[in-house]
Amino acid sequence: MTALLTERNGTAPRSTAPGSPPSARRRRPGRERAFDDVPRWQIYLPLGLYLLFTLVPFYWMLLFAVRPAGSTSLAPWPMTGAHFSKVWNERSFAVFFQNSMIVGVATLVATTLVALAGGYALARFDFRIKGAFMLALLCSQFIPGALMLVPLFEIFRNLQMINSLGSVVIAETVFQLPLSIILISGFIKNVPVSLEEAAWVDGCSRFTAFRTVVLPLLRPGLIAVGSFAFVHSWNHFLFALMFLSEQDKQTIPVGLNTLIGADSVDLGALAAGGVIAAVPVVVVFAFIQKWLITGFSAGAVKG
Amino acid sequence: MTISTTQRGRATAAVSVAAVLALTATACGDDGSGSGTEGSGKGEITFWDNNGGPRTAVWTEIIEDFEKQHPDIDVTYVPIPIADVQSKYDTAIAGGGLPDVGGVGTAYLANMVSQEALEPVNDRLEKSALRGKLVESMVESVRAAAGRGDDVYSVPTSANNGVLWYRTDLFERAGLKAPDTWANFYTAAEKLTDAKKNEFGYTIRGGAGSIAQALDAVYGQSGITEFWDGDTTTLNDPKNVAALEKYAGLFKRTTPAADVNNDFTKMVAQWDTGTIGMLSHNLGSYQDHLKALGEDKFAGIPAPIGEGGTRVQVSNPVDGLGLFRSSRNKTAAWKFIEFAASHASNSKWNESAGAIPANAEAAKDPWINETESTALAAKTLTDGSTKIVDLPYYLPDWNNISKADNEPEFQKVLLGKITAKAFLDDMAEQLNAANKEWKELGNG
Repeated sequence: MTALLTERNGTAPRSTAPGSPPSARRRRPGRERAFDDVPRWQIYLPLGLYLLFTLVPFYWMLLFAVRPAGSTSLAPWPMTGAHFSKVWNERSFAVFFQNSMIVGVATLVATTLVALAGGYALARFDFRIKGAFMLALLCSQFIPGALMLVPLFEIFRNLQMINSLGSVVIAETVFQLPLSIILISGFIKNVPVSLEEAAWVDGCSRFTAFRTVVLPLLRPGLIAVGSFAFVHSWNHFLFALMFLSEQDKQTIPVGLNTLIGADSVDLGALAAGGVIAAVPVVVVFAFIQKWLITGFSAGAVKG
Repeated sequence: MTISTTQRGRATAAVSVAAVLALTATACGDDGSGSGTEGSGKGEITFWDNNGGPRTAVWTEIIEDFEKQHPDIDVTYVPIPIADVQSKYDTAIAGGGLPDVGGVGTAYLANMVSQEALEPVNDRLEKSALRGKLVESMVESVRAAAGRGDDVYSVPTSANNGVLWYRTDLFERAGLKAPDTWANFYTAAEKLTDAKKNEFGYTIRGGAGSIAQALDAVYGQSGITEFWDGDTTTLNDPKNVAALEKYAGLFKRTTPAADVNNDFTKMVAQWDTGTIGMLSHNLGSYQDHLKALGEDKFAGIPAPIGEGGTRVQVSNPVDGLGLFRSSRNKTAAWKFIEFAASHASNSKWNESAGAIPANAEAAKDPWINETESTALAAKTLTDGSTKIVDLPYYLPDWNNISKADNEPEFQKVLLGKITAKAFLDDMAEQLNAANKEWKELGNG
């Protein structure tokens, strides 16, 4: 194939290493070849610049977090852990971290489970108001959380749930669900229904067929939706601020904001708090990036 | 491929709709401004700190002291980030769940009073040990800020004051005089600027909080001492317009270009870590400067003196403690307020915050004179040498007018997109309308 293309174009394939086996050359698709023809620096230079642009704020945060107060050095040396110690021990970030983790994981589980059920219904069932329901899900994305703050506050107060992490989990889940349901529905539509039908023929119930046949195929989608729910609830500030009052219930974003005073700000502590807040998100993305990209592209294109 | 709809699906939908309606119905409860009760004077009270975080340690100490003195009262401390305190109060006023006691600044006092969230404390003050012990000018400030005649809605605890911080090392090196007059200020701003070396004479506040600082510079230069001339504001007086033109003209000429987005955190951070001659802020950033620069490299003075020979500055917000109408234990809540505003507690709190105490006895404590900037600020507020232009904090619209509505407009002035005159004329028009509306409601 490569040889044929070369003959037609009248040019030799520049990236083909001399002596490489013909079978290897044959495996290379045309588009990949096109990229191979581009000089490496034209790919890596823009990527490097973009990476630099993206990483400078992180470097700045790390720098402030580890350099001593009053230092103006642009290198993180001499290094100190004083800011981390201060926010973790004196400013209750150990507690905030634990609360954020509870909210994040609970929102992840609740969102994924409900979105799975809702997405399955939308993908596999046909009902009269399905179109309107989908439209309502889409429209709900336009409602800002702040608009619902007072009604939600009143509801949770009447349910005796103010100052409970449960109120934040419920609110976060509710706001995460529309997009999650739409995404999951798209993933499920990609799984041929004939696979389920085969399982039914073999005697499986609908639930067993779903659990044993469909669910394993949804792994990229579930990871995408779950991680999205986790990261969003981990970072979300408004509901935690409004629904949680006692200090031992507050979450990392609220804790970060308490590091900014009316007239003064401890930048070292703020940066150390920012690093603590960023670590779980970075770790989550590092582990799941492969699934995440697969999941989002699959759900987005064919939804 | 689709699969059939079931009866169970319809039932589920019906239950869901009913649940939503039921939850919506519960949203028609009280508005959080109920009358509350005096209570037994024992039990639990909740206190919202309006500057939660930086002051948590000192409040924890004061609460421990209070609970030792009143073992039958438990105080639940809730730190609220300062940037969000007003929205937290507004949500609780609308949805219920207000505390018994809360920190309230004069900047948003009128807004809370207009929503009937706070209880007047005149009678309680009359019978209290605090009677005659509070700095009169601060009591007057909180009274005026509430905008309800003689009623006082918060017990003042501290005041801040504008400070012009300057780098003594840079001034000495350039052979400049301290910027104690506006003429010296402008000279220093020019001489300390060398943009090629990333050195600037001044850092201007172009982002959040820019208006109050700009007004301070405007009235300070013009020498106009009243905000109102009858029912019309003096804001767009030609002298003020000229002053703003001169002040805004510093932008990019003697300041970093990024200043257009400066809130106080960015402004203080770049002054502490860069090579900038002067910074207008307040007493609150003293500790930051001390940590970053050390004691020998900076000093702070009150606003520069104008051509008329008098120092004029705008009023700074006074912080206080409010007693909430909805409290079920007002007696205990008031005991806490009295304790927090007493000599020992008030002195402890203000020493920690670097602010000026509202308790007159605390204001005479030795620590006040240990820091030159605090001593000068306290002197400025108490010796009568400085004319204070009272900003109309009592207008419920003041916060909107001085922040959301006009901060973006001030950025346009800095960027040269509108003139200083157009900006002041427009803001003056908004203020005159807000004042008229406020008076039509029977105030003033």
